[in-house]
Amino acid sequence: MSVRQSQMVLVLLMVVFFASGLFSGPAQLDWSAEWAALMGRGDATTQTIMWRLRLPRLMMAAFSGAALGLSGLLMQTYFRNPLAGPSVLGVSSGATLGVAMVALGGASLGWASRNMGMGSQVLGALLGGGAVMVLLGLVMGRFRSRTALLIFGLMVGYLTGALVTVLQAGADAGALQAFVHWGMGSFANGGWSSCVFILVALSGSIVWTARTCSQLDMWTMGSLTARTMGVDERKLTWSALGTAGVLAGLVTAWCGPIAFLGLATPHLVRATGISGRHSKMLWSVVLTGGALALFADGVVRWAGVPLNAVLSLVGAPVVLLLIMGRGPFGSAGKTGARL
Amino acid sequence: MSEAQLVMRDLELVYPTAGVGPLNLELSPGGNLVILGRNGAGKSTLLRSLAGLLTPRSGQVSLGGHEVGAMSPGRRAEHMAFVASTPPRGSALTVGDVVGLALEAGSKSAGPSDVAAALEMADIADWIDVQLDTLSDGMAQRVMMARAFNQAGSMVLLDEPTAFLDVVGRREVMHDLGKWCASGKSVVLATHDLEAVEQAGWANRWLVLRTPEQGGSLLLDEAFNAQKARSILTGEA
Repeated sequence: MSVRQSQMVLVLLMVVFFASGLFSGPAQLDWSAEWAALMGRGDATTQTIMWRLRLPRLMMAAFSGAALGLSGLLMQTYFRNPLAGPSVLGVSSGATLGVAMVALGGASLGWASRNMGMGSQVLGALLGGGAVMVLLGLVMGRFRSRTALLIFGLMVGYLTGALVTVLQAGADAGALQAFVHWGMGSFANGGWSSCVFILVALSGSIVWTARTCSQLDMWTMGSLTARTMGVDERKLTWSALGTAGVLAGLVTAWCGPIAFLGLATPHLVRATGISGRHSKMLWSVVLTGGALALFADGVVRWAGVPLNAVLSLVGAPVVLLLIMGRGPFGSAGKTGARL
Repeated sequence: MSEAQLVMRDLELVYPTAGVGPLNLELSPGGNLVILGRNGAGKSTLLRSLAGLLTPRSGQVSLGGHEVGAMSPGRRAEHMAFVASTPPRGSALTVGDVVGLALEAGSKSAGPSDVAAALEMADIADWIDVQLDTLSDGMAQRVMMARAFNQAGSMVLLDEPTAFLDVVGRREVMHDLGKWCASGKSVVLATHDLEAVEQAGWANRWLVLRTPEQGGSLLLDEAFNAQKARSILTGEA
């Protein structure tokens, strides 16, 4: 199957997942009523369900999945580490701490509303995630091995986890409940405005990646080779980490610290035989991320379990297979560990 | 890309601290320079300073009249390429991808036919769709050499490119470098592989890096002689 053909399949999958999410739900509406509401006719309740609940939720899932997939690809390329991803390197933990400071710390100081001021929450996530990214960029030169980098992510997770626990202990019940709920992950929290934010960031990131493809390719051959092939190391470092961090931070702000999606998406793409040049991988990663998120959201609605539970149940085995040197689909094993 | 002259003027490197300079040298297009020195003598530091990756402690390196440290990375890449002692590992790029990127880095046209022609010339056309990572060290190093040749407009810097190769591989690499010089590219080679260099027969300029304590660096303008090089390096000359 060529790259083009597999991308067509992914688009088709996204359409199917999207449509099934749009025309099913706990409200048990019938098709004609749903269709009419989408066209702007019919009763107000159905219109509200379609336009205010289902559509933005599905859009959010598609855009966030794509954003996390791209973020994961950029991190795996930059750190030349197949186990890199927003949830592994501590970026999600940093964003979580940022949100906790706003939602829990802020609430107890009385300057944030109980259901979390969205603007300050986004800022908190971006600052928290960004701080970890900057820290990573500053210290990664000292790490001799891939393992050290992963341990860094793990330790950042412990540190931020401890601080979050402290904040939780002092928070009032309402803020605590909202925060715990946010931490389970969901695409239903945002509205149209958050969709627009993520779409803008995603589009900008896709354009940047498309223009930087060759440099990212060179980077996979090591920094010495890349630098002598014309890559400006400093510029690539900050723009790649910045892009990956903003994508992960924004998604985390609205959807919670989403597990595994950023890590697993590029590997699923590689398992289908698409690897190597970033120009080849870019759209496949974006579409696969979107399709995966829509699928996971479908499972969430069908089984009634939190998003992060669904993703961890699927994602953890994927990582285990990776560590054992096998791609998610066995035969693609050798490409699994490569970038 | 016009061919350009490499000039070192009163060059002092950041390493070793004892200093191996000041180095003064001009290398014309198609010229060669073999850099010798014991472990830690500063061979890699010199190569990286020439490549514009390290700022020298003092003095200047210029290429075609422009100081390399002040050139943009892209402009430097058009002029010169770098070959390290080990080929990169862990990349999923294919051999065709690598050579295509090299042509791009050298600001040459990099269409499928250009890549095919470049691979044909390096005698690795069969590997076009093979992943670099699945090749042996020796085979991958040949790809990295082809990459450098296709990227560089004027000069290739090589840091012990044969360190991990077998006897035949060493001979092939040294032989290729001779052809590069003949085609007008400057070759700057740091190596411990004295016999292979002598056998290849093209080297006629060599720089032995030594600290003042060891007698200072030496620049020799004569056909390379492994026996003589060894006695200089061991301090018996």
